[in-house]
Amino acid sequence: MASATAEWLTPPTRTELIENLVSGVDRYNPSNVGILEDYLYHQIRSEEYDCLANLAILKLYQFNPDLFNPDVVVNILLKALTAEPFPDFNLCMSLLDDRPPTSSTDEPDPLPTLLPMLTNLYDLLHQCRFPAFWAFYKSEQLESLRENYTIECVGFEDAIREVAARAVKATFTRIGLERLGTYVDLSGPEVDAWVAKQGWVVDGGVVGIPPNPDNQIESVVIRENVKLPQLAKVIAHSAQTK
Amino acid sequence: MSAQQRVPLWAAEPDLDDEINDVDISLAIPSYPNADMYDDPNVQLDESALAMQAQIAQQAAFAQIPDVVKRFIVHFHQAVLENNLPEITLAYESGWNRLTEKFYSKTEWPEAEIIAPLVNDDQIFLILYRELYYRHVYSRLQPNVDDRFHSYENSCELFNYLLNSDGPVTLSLPAQWLWDIIDEFIYQFQSFALFRSRPANKTDDELAMLGSEGGGQAWSSYSVLNVLYSLIQKSRANEWLTARSEGKTEEEIEEIIGEYGTRPLYRQLGYFSIIGLLRVHVLLGDFTLALKVMERVGLGLSVGQKAPFTAPTAAHVSTAYHAGVCYLMLRRVTDAARVFTGCLNWVMRARQYHTRSYQYDQINKTADRMYALLSLCHTLAPTRLDDNVMNIVREKYGDQMTRMGRGEEGLSTFEEIFLYACPKFISANGPPYDDPNALALLLNPPTPASPSSPSAPVLKPTTSDPTHRHLRALTAHFLSLTHVPVLRSLLKLYTSLDARKLAGFLDAGVDEEEVLSWMMVMKNAGRCVGRVNIAAGADKDDEKGGATNGTPARGSAARGSLLDGEWMSISDLNYVIDENMIHIAESTVGRRYAGWFIRNSEHAARVLDSVRALPLPVAAAAPAVGSKSQGKDGESKGEKNAKADGAPRTGGQKVAWGGVKAA
Repeated sequence: MASATAEWLTPPTRTELIENLVSGVDRYNPSNVGILEDYLYHQIRSEEYDCLANLAILKLYQFNPDLFNPDVVVNILLKALTAEPFPDFNLCMSLLDDRPPTSSTDEPDPLPTLLPMLTNLYDLLHQCRFPAFWAFYKSEQLESLRENYTIECVGFEDAIREVAARAVKATFTRIGLERLGTYVDLSGPEVDAWVAKQGWVVDGGVVGIPPNPDNQIESVVIRENVKLPQLAKVIAHSAQTK
Repeated sequence: MSAQQRVPLWAAEPDLDDEINDVDISLAIPSYPNADMYDDPNVQLDESALAMQAQIAQQAAFAQIPDVVKRFIVHFHQAVLENNLPEITLAYESGWNRLTEKFYSKTEWPEAEIIAPLVNDDQIFLILYRELYYRHVYSRLQPNVDDRFHSYENSCELFNYLLNSDGPVTLSLPAQWLWDIIDEFIYQFQSFALFRSRPANKTDDELAMLGSEGGGQAWSSYSVLNVLYSLIQKSRANEWLTARSEGKTEEEIEEIIGEYGTRPLYRQLGYFSIIGLLRVHVLLGDFTLALKVMERVGLGLSVGQKAPFTAPTAAHVSTAYHAGVCYLMLRRVTDAARVFTGCLNWVMRARQYHTRSYQYDQINKTADRMYALLSLCHTLAPTRLDDNVMNIVREKYGDQMTRMGRGEEGLSTFEEIFLYACPKFISANGPPYDDPNALALLLNPPTPASPSSPSAPVLKPTTSDPTHRHLRALTAHFLSLTHVPVLRSLLKLYTSLDARKLAGFLDAGVDEEEVLSWMMVMKNAGRCVGRVNIAAGADKDDEKGGATNGTPARGSAARGSLLDGEWMSISDLNYVIDENMIHIAESTVGRRYAGWFIRNSEHAARVLDSVRALPLPVAAAAPAVGSKSQGKDGESKGEKNAKADGAPRTGGQKVAWGGVKAA
């Protein structure tokens, strides 16, 4: 059975080496951080995602502050943003312990300024305020985030569009093309192409979304369903006493 | 028998003993006829050497010890030497607590060095004694920095003895004590981390100790995890649980778990260490890993699974509380609610049995936290929960729940309840005590770099403590749901409604686009990942009846990851948007009759049984009784089995819910 979390627990792309690190005691060994970081950059390049492996990196950072690499953390958080509505972003944030102010580093730590921005991006996604997300994401303020990080993260914007697509798919049966465009920050032929890729159909400026378990509703009256084992005691007893 | 005779030795009326307080040392040292059965080479009775070593101060301190305490210690030691579990349990659960109340409610117990002569300088017993000594300091008094370091050293010595002796040690301790050892170890770790995390108001002494090399090592996360993982591996607790759930035979299991795992001491320590690991990971904020380590153990009683042995109540409560917190932080609210409800139900039923544990207060406190967290669960995802438990939640947190249901104004209530009910989260590392400059910088930070984000959230990465980090994650979710109650109440009135019209019903300034985003949030909140299989198997009491044939199935369910889950709908109000038109469908739950029917049939059967069990009103000769009852039965029951009426029923008959009282 493919459960809703199966892929999240063990993505099909996870190698055996990584699986052993994630599930074994070796995850605590600081010398393995390189392997996991390489795996993260592999995810960044090839549009894969493995939350548990990334959490293992943060765990190593938590225990070994000297390993801490802010760039890696930002990349992990960007990846986690795209997992909404799963709470991956918060799970990652939970492992980011306080770090003493670095008194002796050459380059300034980018995290103190980036973390609030990332959190804000996450909140906008979580509140399904997609147009506001894109506006903030494209703002001048986030230039450094875009130019230093998301540009490297292949398919980041598409992955965010998937977040929007998931919300839309669950809520709408039909949605105006223009409105959808603001959700995914696309317009004109681009949005047509994107909609086609989703397998949705455009009909006169309105996008029809195929039925799925979430966007089909019906009023049901839940009736109780009495199973035989529930009555086993009563029946067994009356049989005994005859 | 010997237990009966020995109890009065130290439990005797202390009034008599006060007279002979300053008893001579040599008198207090009993001879050990069976000392040689103890294979520790350290145990060598050398009275003269002891007397030489004993310092005057120690003698004075020794003389201060009430005689009854001395006898208690001697007796306790003897019980440990003999691996006499009933005696150890008695001393541990009642003797120690009684004497604590009487003599040491406000002071420490005598130090281990002082009582050493009483126990023949038995190092192993002294380690166990210190374990109790420090636990008493932590729970009743205020541990100072020395206590914190020494209790750490003592724990290390204890675990070192258990793990690194040649082969498994022969010690036997009751399960409750073993649980307490693990639990206390983690508690002291947590306590130290909290102590360490506050660099302000530390004395120079404390700063020096925390800054020393040993200070950086003591109670480090790695060392604590190392102990727990070593115990789990040594005892092969996970392998044991796997083998059991696969239905292996006793011999096969013994083969698998090896010489350590076959001993109850190691097996129980291993099992409790897994639960301890759950707690440590929760404290450190790793909610996924916490549930992952519990894969083999399962969630025990709170989801209707049996524990593999009689584990202390506190172990179940700790499991449920921490697992529930994990689910809550994973936003799997239904799972959290189910775990809390299951455990609370069980605590309610078992209340009369666990009063003797010294952790009774602790259990009640944890239970109260679970009620509080349930009120949060109910706010985030109002679903139908067990009536008994929900009634108590309403009783305790009714007002708060009303406030939280009012959206944004409920935020402070939400935060308050979370801060009260959440575990005391800790940071893995303390401030840089070894670097005075960095520490000074931390205590008096220069003007913090102001985050330039427009809606700058309260998050300040350099100064936020872990609890507030987790709180922030949860309140963000709470805040995203603040519009849900209003929307719900409006949508319930319609079967279809234009989104613009809905926007018009709401506060001024809310446009259609905003309403649509709320609708999407509400849709996301109306479904949730949860463990369906377990849910079906466990939340019904009826399941108990099928326990015998249900066990293998549950065993396999327990093997699935606790992180597994399916999407499920948790809202009775569903809707879908067709361009601008919202279509609404509401589900209702029909009346349930089965429970009522079953309860009443059982009641009727019980009445019938007791009527039958009564002696017949008129005393008559045996054969007459037989025929009489036959006639009566025949009337009331129609067809029946001939062999059942050979004799009148005077004894109670076994029924599914327990024996019927004999008349």
